[in-house]
Amino acid sequence: MSPESPTDIGDAVNSAKLSTLGMLVAGVAHEVNTPLGALASNHDVIKRAMGKLQDILADEVVDETELAEVRRIVRALDGILKVNDLAVTRVLELVGSLRSFGRLDRSETDRLDLHEGIDNALVLLRHRMERRVRIEKDYAELPPVECFPQQLNQVFMNLLLNAIQAIEGEGTITVVTAPDDRGVRIEIHDTGRGIAPELMETIFEPGFTTKGNRVGMGLGLLISRQIVDRHGGRISVRSELGRGSTFMVTLPLELPIESDAGGTPSDPAP
Amino acid sequence: MPERTAGTVMIVDDEEMVLTALRTFLELETPWAVREFTSPHDALEALATERIDVVLADFMMPDMDGISFLKEVRGQKPHVSRILLTGYADVENAIRAINEAGLYHYLEKPWDNEHLRMVIRNGMERSSLVNELDARISALEQANGELLEVRSRLIRMFL
Repeated sequence: MSPESPTDIGDAVNSAKLSTLGMLVAGVAHEVNTPLGALASNHDVIKRAMGKLQDILADEVVDETELAEVRRIVRALDGILKVNDLAVTRVLELVGSLRSFGRLDRSETDRLDLHEGIDNALVLLRHRMERRVRIEKDYAELPPVECFPQQLNQVFMNLLLNAIQAIEGEGTITVVTAPDDRGVRIEIHDTGRGIAPELMETIFEPGFTTKGNRVGMGLGLLISRQIVDRHGGRISVRSELGRGSTFMVTLPLELPIESDAGGTPSDPAP
Repeated sequence: MPERTAGTVMIVDDEEMVLTALRTFLELETPWAVREFTSPHDALEALATERIDVVLADFMMPDMDGISFLKEVRGQKPHVSRILLTGYADVENAIRAINEAGLYHYLEKPWDNEHLRMVIRNGMERSSLVNELDARISALEQANGELLEVRSRLIRMFL
């Protein structure tokens, strides 16, 4: 499939967004089910333990055996309550990231702390990295950037997802941010397989993918570039085959004047 | 509630919080002993030397996925009942698991403790039946061997 007319590109961009969304939902469902599984089981155990404690205390006299049982139950409850603290924190963090990532509660343009957007994307992608990909952050103090937050978040998600997928086995992703003479600079470096020199020209073109021929594939970098262009910024790449790639995004602090609030990548101006 | 067979359950999950939840339930509410591991490799090492009746393993683990792990368990100790615990419904992987690892059961997170208890109890029964069957078969084989021996002695006596 090679999109040509503006309508085709619009449709393709939409299906790429849906495919990212689908991946995100599946990932978050998986991520939530682990702490939720622990919470549900622990809740059930607490109810059972409560019943046992009430039975023991219903007697006038509590003997030594019963006392030992009470101590055993209290120890067990202590352990699962600590787990519940962790599990609740994990679910809250995931849901918080998802909401903030989608910016469901904000207007379309906003001043964004870019680190928040990057960190949210990292939380949402955690299940893709498991323990095989290490994240290193080298964040500088950055002023907030006027932007379309939902769209910039999409760029971070695309670039980080590419970085994760470029790493076979174990590796490291380093995120560097710095003030720049034009505004701010974000670099995402991975120790993955790198991009062959003959492909460097085509990676920002529609249909470039290493992930097989599926609807919505091969548009991540094209969309990212469109979004960065709309923000008056630049996106570029350096790569060495077998050693890794670095994607650099520079953004001005203010949106360009011609950037209209209604312009989203899903309905490009003709 | 008395269980017909007391035995040992091995639980393997890279998430401590899942292990703690499973262990606490099993220890407070069932008669089975529990062995827990965050690493599938350590679990396989223990399996070689310890008596384990049922193995419950998570699907997504960083070192080795649950299906490959349960496949190894089957290779090492075919009588152990194998249960996969998975975080997200994934039909493709379920089918792969059932075919490749000869799964006894497939559970989804979040799980129901009563259902989990039933699945483990049935797994225990299955393991002990297979063990018993094996013992009977080897007893039969031995008896058969002895019978053949007697027959050949008889033949030699009369020829």
